[in-house]
Amino acid sequence: MRNALTVAGTELRLFLRDRSNLFFVFVFPLLLVLMIGLQFGEGASTGRVAVSGTASDLRSGLVERLEGDDVVVSDPAWEDALALLARGRLDAAVRVDDAAASAYDAGRGLTLEVVRGSSGNAQVVEQQVRVAVDALRSDRGRLLALEGAGVPPDRAAAAVEAAEGQVVAPRLEVTSVDRLSQEFEGMGQFEFGASGQLLLFTFLACLGGSATLIQARRLGVVSRMLAGPMTARELVAGQILGRWAIALFQGGYLMLATSLVFGVDWGSLPLALLVLLLFSLVAAGAAILLGTLLENEGAAGGAGVGFGLVLAALGGSMFPLELFPDTMRAISRITPHAWAYEALADIQRRGAGLVDILPQLGVLAVMALLLATVGGWSLRRSLARAM
Amino acid sequence: MRQLLALTGSDLLQRMRDKSVLLFALVVPLALMSVFNLVFGQADDIEIKPLTVAVSVAAGDDLAQVLVGVVRSLDDAGGLDVTVTEVDEAGARQHVEDGDAAIALLVPDGFAQAARAGEPVTVEAVRGDEAGIEADIVLSVVDGVLDQIASGAVTAQAALAEGVAAADLDALVEQATGGGPAYDLTSGEASDEQLGAGAALVAGQAGLFLLFTVSFGVTGLLVDRESGTLARLRSMPIPAWVVVASKALVSFLLGVVSTGILLGVGAYLFDADFGSVPAVVALVLCAAAAGTSVMFLIVRVARTSEQAGIATSIVALVLGIGGGAFFPVSATGPLSRVLDLNPVAALLRGLGTTSGGGGLGDVGVPVAIMLGFVAVMLVVSRLVPDRGVMS
Repeated sequence: MRNALTVAGTELRLFLRDRSNLFFVFVFPLLLVLMIGLQFGEGASTGRVAVSGTASDLRSGLVERLEGDDVVVSDPAWEDALALLARGRLDAAVRVDDAAASAYDAGRGLTLEVVRGSSGNAQVVEQQVRVAVDALRSDRGRLLALEGAGVPPDRAAAAVEAAEGQVVAPRLEVTSVDRLSQEFEGMGQFEFGASGQLLLFTFLACLGGSATLIQARRLGVVSRMLAGPMTARELVAGQILGRWAIALFQGGYLMLATSLVFGVDWGSLPLALLVLLLFSLVAAGAAILLGTLLENEGAAGGAGVGFGLVLAALGGSMFPLELFPDTMRAISRITPHAWAYEALADIQRRGAGLVDILPQLGVLAVMALLLATVGGWSLRRSLARAM
Repeated sequence: MRQLLALTGSDLLQRMRDKSVLLFALVVPLALMSVFNLVFGQADDIEIKPLTVAVSVAAGDDLAQVLVGVVRSLDDAGGLDVTVTEVDEAGARQHVEDGDAAIALLVPDGFAQAARAGEPVTVEAVRGDEAGIEADIVLSVVDGVLDQIASGAVTAQAALAEGVAAADLDALVEQATGGGPAYDLTSGEASDEQLGAGAALVAGQAGLFLLFTVSFGVTGLLVDRESGTLARLRSMPIPAWVVVASKALVSFLLGVVSTGILLGVGAYLFDADFGSVPAVVALVLCAAAAGTSVMFLIVRVARTSEQAGIATSIVALVLGIGGGAFFPVSATGPLSRVLDLNPVAALLRGLGTTSGGGGLGDVGVPVAIMLGFVAVMLVVSRLVPDRGVMS
């Protein structure tokens, strides 16, 4: 056992000594969590509207109304706004020209040009623009009505302001009974990115290590190790333990870093760690199998990245499993990522206990056992060749 | 010239034998495209569907009836197909649970009285499984109507405070909400220069893996140095620039061929249309040149082929993700301008233009960005101290 632990420790040290890992293990996954959180997380789906035109009361009023509705407002020139719309970087653009601004100041009617983009959300955002313009018109309409009833303009504005403090507007409260909203309930901005990247990078780090196994066989390190007082069984155990340690290190680091940097709540820590333990063992088995089936480090590197990314995409690490079409959701179950994703989602979002995630843990355990056994057997065969 | 062709030919042959080039250039990107297409393909399909709204309102509540009337008037407006069903509260909830209605609007008893008096009152909306973007539009309209009602209450309150007679209030509120200046919105058309869901996946993966593919040629210099081949080549009567140019040519050719195959196969498999062939060819040539130019910088800085491999992966992933290879980057302002200067972003932008019907004359900006990128990379690679392959 001591020999196996020594081999495992050496594998982990070699992994940490690799300078590329400074970026790929420590920095890159966190950058992706940040980008995914900003892109898809809570509050990221608000509309993007450009309000073009020189500074005026009409423009600032419109911007204020839209921002009050959580719309992200920018102020590019009109031509730039149209270019951004064409490229899908805006949902709608409104042109506040000088004629409209002066008509607004003078209390006259006005016309604004609005152009809607082609994003799925654009029609909703255009409606938000209409609501904002209606609100501005209504602000102006009530002042004019009061003035028409004989209230002097300055007093009308003050009276409206005072009345706004007293009136409570009717509220629209939206509740969801749909399956999707309930499944995503309790998920913070960075939770999806964190669990997705945890699974993606844990598996990828492990598979990437398969090249070192090929290198060790090619350079005769394996034969020399076996020439010492070490059995093939110990070497196999050490290699599997080594990959497992690498995966656990990567996963553990990501859990710690995302909770410290992004405040990700992993739910019950012991349960989340249990998922990571089993998932890492699956990754270790897969890495050993890959490292013994291929003879070329370059090919192993390419295949490792390829398999890692494809399995992660299939298993919901890049796009929420809940949004998969039904057939793809069924297919995703061939990946360990999908089972681990579901277990982590249950723990994080629904406060699941050990019993609730037993099915997922069971499948991961079977996958781990199967891959570790086949990987170990394949490694022993390759050792026999090396000897 | 003969030497250049001989070196390039032999290197190309060697790279073809190397499985990792084929893996990175074709197999992995095609596998990723297929998976992404299966996973994301349907998710991007957003269309406006017919919508049923179940409403529960008290019979005598005129303001609630106004609200229902506005929702009803949305039918046939802006492409919406809205059916309004009036039922009691329990019935409305049931309709949503059964999937017969996408949303339920529950207006409480005494709504008009509370809203007119400016007292707190809540309209509840229940979204069901079928509620999509069309439900968001209806809810936004309802929110707007509630704002208008609040505005009426503010007007009435302000008028009372200013001594307007109670009998005149209704007319005043009517004038405030219905009258006043007309604010019209004219709708314009935005041109579409965006790739469809399938085409975006193909183009994104082609752009990302182009950067990996071009690395095999130029970083071959470092491999040749490590194996002693470079020293042997330099001992022969071959100018140094020919050796370097042959590697660059290998990178460029690998990049052009692999990107061409990926775009062609991807377009065929995933039903994508990139439009004008000459414009797409120009974009691919420029993108391959831009990718190759980064490699000149990397071989100048990296001491070993391993370091070059690491640097290549970092550069490829940062430029690829920043350029929108996996998902569109929706940044605006100065950040978006910086991101636009990336060759992957420029390639995707150019392909967006060609897929929207643009020709050779319309891809000037992305071509200029990529050629500018080549120029900057070449200048920078001349300026940084050479601690890499030719030092």
